[in-house]
Amino acid sequence: MQIDVVCDDRYGGEAYAKLFENIIGDIGKSFMIVKARLVLKPEVPLFVFSVILKNAPGCKVMSDAASFRQEGDELYVSISNERYAPDVLSNLWKAYGRPNVDQQTRFDLVVRGAKQEDVESMVISTGEEAIEEILGAFWRALPEGIRVRESMIDGKVITIVATEEIMVKELRDQGMQVHADMIKEGEVIPDV
Amino acid sequence: MFEVMMYDGGVYRSAELFEAIEDIGGTVLHMNRSAQMLMVTMSIPEEDRPVIERISKEIGGDIRSVPLAGTEIAVIGCTLGRHHMPHPVCDIAEIMRQGGAISVVMGLARGRGKKTSQISKREIEIIDEYDAAVFMFGNFKDCIEEKKALLEDIHVPVILVCGPEPDGMEDCCEAIISGVGRKAERMKASEERAKLAEISDAVNEVLMRKKKMLEEDPLFIHPAELKLLLENYEPIDMCLRPAPIVLHLDGLRVKIPYREHKDYFDNLVVYGRKLSEVADIVESKLEDSSTLIKIRTMSQIEDMDRSE
Repeated sequence: MQIDVVCDDRYGGEAYAKLFENIIGDIGKSFMIVKARLVLKPEVPLFVFSVILKNAPGCKVMSDAASFRQEGDELYVSISNERYAPDVLSNLWKAYGRPNVDQQTRFDLVVRGAKQEDVESMVISTGEEAIEEILGAFWRALPEGIRVRESMIDGKVITIVATEEIMVKELRDQGMQVHADMIKEGEVIPDV
Repeated sequence: MFEVMMYDGGVYRSAELFEAIEDIGGTVLHMNRSAQMLMVTMSIPEEDRPVIERISKEIGGDIRSVPLAGTEIAVIGCTLGRHHMPHPVCDIAEIMRQGGAISVVMGLARGRGKKTSQISKREIEIIDEYDAAVFMFGNFKDCIEEKKALLEDIHVPVILVCGPEPDGMEDCCEAIISGVGRKAERMKASEERAKLAEISDAVNEVLMRKKKMLEEDPLFIHPAELKLLLENYEPIDMCLRPAPIVLHLDGLRVKIPYREHKDYFDNLVVYGRKLSEVADIVESKLEDSSTLIKIRTMSQIEDMDRSE
């Protein structure tokens, strides 16, 4: 993840870049972010955090993360994308109950009473969840007193603009400018 | 000269240690037993240190100097929110504890923000109950300098820990340690450990100045001596709270309610005088189940006697 910091306070700029990297790492979303730009103006105060994601968060279904083999009443599930392994398991537990889901190895499961066509289309991750988590990380990284916040989401660019008291037009415009710049930069980055 | 040391080891044969402390004329200031582990903070004559070291070695424990023992220090973050806690506030509190102090972590109710941060009178009164206050501010010079107002009315020594070096804060802080700002992870790197040691040294230096002032005008009774008297009082002896008596440089915090035990505290005889004559005894502002005793100095008592 590349992090650009725009800040006159050298110490604060470096510290916030590290803080941002740590917090995004904590929620396990570093892999989703290609580039981040942090505009920090504590003298105003105005904080703009913006990120370009690898691709626009979309809905993931079970077949995106696992392959299947039906044998009679039993469905053999083989997880192909480890990142979604907890989501696959929890969704199967929820749908068929724990006693009917047998985890043989880390990636291999047997589900009793399941049909492949039902399981394939089960949603394991919605794009909204990822956006919510990234926005939550922004809130954690922003100073606590900077409570007046506005978020902008366009495709794979997420931006939050924040100030302490009143979000006047000039501040919002600065945030929107950063957002527009990031959208432009995001257009030349190919989706992964 | 008495030296404050900490024993860290097992309970096995600890009776021998306690006996030795008593034999050399020392005092146990604080004892914390957790399962089979034992930590004892003691005050012993400097020249008898080898005796205690030998016994500690024999019974398989460690002994080390704890310069901050006998003090209670507040480590204060701007709020209790996850933006300010637990790091690095709790790392600082931990290093104070390793130095022998009883450290308390607290957050202000409205300490966040640049223009909107504030401290209430009650918060100031609570902070003033401690021997020193370590304030933890953030990463931006502008914001730190703006928050000077939070420190201005505090009467106990303030040690400010923050990211960049602020300007114009020297008049409201006894010490400023820069290089530790807001963090989202533990201070584990060697340079961060060195920074924590620097904070501990700064607190020690500030408290040494306070101790020297007390040496010039000593207290009527040393808090450790008063602790020995109070320990015999049954409600304190039976108190299940950890560290029912906490030593301060100029008094004690006793964790039983003042309202219920007013008669005992007021009429306790200390060197032929009632405790209420030689100390200010008040209910703690932090919680009404604790009592705060501030022992008066010899000059204050002489002045009082003269005016009578």
